[in-house]
Amino acid sequence: MASKIVTFTLNGRETEIIAHPLVTLQTVLRQQLNRTATKSGCNQGGCGSCTVLVDGEPMVSCLLPAADVDGRDITTLEGLGSADKLHPLQETFYEDYALQCGYCTPGMIMTAKALLEHNPTPSRNDIADAIAGNVCRCTGYVPILQAIEDAAQRLNGGDA
Amino acid sequence: MTLKTYFTPESQAEALSLKAEHGRDLWLMAGGTIFMHLINDGYIFPEQVMGLRRAGMDKVQVNGTAVIGAAATMTQMTQLTAYPLLQQAAHSVAGWAVRNMGTVGGNLFARAPYGDFGVALLALNASLKIETSTGARTISLAEFYNNGRQLAAEELVTEIHVPQQSGQTYFHKHSIRQANAPTIVAVAVNLMVTDARVSSATIALGGADQTPVRAQSAESVLAGAALTSETIAAAAEAAAEASNPITDAVASEWYRRKMVAVQLKRALSTLAGGDSTDA
Repeated sequence: MASKIVTFTLNGRETEIIAHPLVTLQTVLRQQLNRTATKSGCNQGGCGSCTVLVDGEPMVSCLLPAADVDGRDITTLEGLGSADKLHPLQETFYEDYALQCGYCTPGMIMTAKALLEHNPTPSRNDIADAIAGNVCRCTGYVPILQAIEDAAQRLNGGDA
Repeated sequence: MTLKTYFTPESQAEALSLKAEHGRDLWLMAGGTIFMHLINDGYIFPEQVMGLRRAGMDKVQVNGTAVIGAAATMTQMTQLTAYPLLQQAAHSVAGWAVRNMGTVGGNLFARAPYGDFGVALLALNASLKIETSTGARTISLAEFYNNGRQLAAEELVTEIHVPQQSGQTYFHKHSIRQANAPTIVAVAVNLMVTDARVSSATIALGGADQTPVRAQSAESVLAGAALTSETIAAAAEAAAEASNPITDAVASEWYRRKMVAVQLKRALSTLAGGDSTDA
């Protein structure tokens, strides 16, 4: 079987893996690289729990062959903040009760990160539109919208 | 595992050459938003697959007509300001991440009731450029759907051509949720009214048949007519009657047929300047 060596930047670090044909980036991240923040939900691209950033743009890693990200810049939740210093999105999700089971949270935060890079002052509608591909069964979405709004404020130097 | 090779050509020429070499043994994907689900859940077991994401087939040029590379993504289409109808249709597809991956070309092959972007292309009289490593041909999108989306073994859809958009347009995807949900029925309309009469009406429907289709009987009702509530109702009924919707987990044939009438009535009422809640 024709496996390929695939090289990409993962959270700022050059990473090289052997990829079986059509192995997904989701499988590579979770099983080969032990980065389990990116979740495995529907495996169809419908739930968004596997969302990662490829060159800053959200993609569902369950539908993305690892070979397609050769030379690309991948960001996962592990690349945002640390246990000692949370990213503002992690802070506001925690403070605003924007997670219960936490399964949708990595996908939500990665999508929100990409949104705030594109649009540092999104309206609530902009936020809802951005996370329309991320399904949450627990929170009813309102705390998530609030947390993203609050993080946007903090990132802009405000004190939400 | 049956899969032997995943090709990732870096040029259109390379992609066409691989298709010429392997013919129908080579399965295709571009964004992977349809294909990879089938792989993930074990519905298909190809030996050779070619991915077109890196083949440089994603260029978009607008110069009166739009020339859209088959691997252009839905996100690129949401940015096509010269074609508001295409922007709306692209935005109705899935969520942001899937739009960053899913392509125009792939959408043409989506099974009913999907292929909402194709519905909008159909309403704008789009055509397809189909190439092999030795030649090219062009057919209308309508002909492509009517022929059951058949291509010869070495052929690839490389470009989608869309004439300049003029007149009024309307797009709505009726679905079970406001976003990120499968289509019940989708309606795309391109309308021109001259001296209070319809001079041109192109109506395309999704979820109303095995592929996106033109609602030709509804278009006939409208041709040269004034847009009154009577003509609108007649057009809507004609479209519903001519439909052959499918039944699936999302909606029944019965409900889809009803929604063809309701959604087309709303579309035409809105374009006529009325209240879309009249339907």
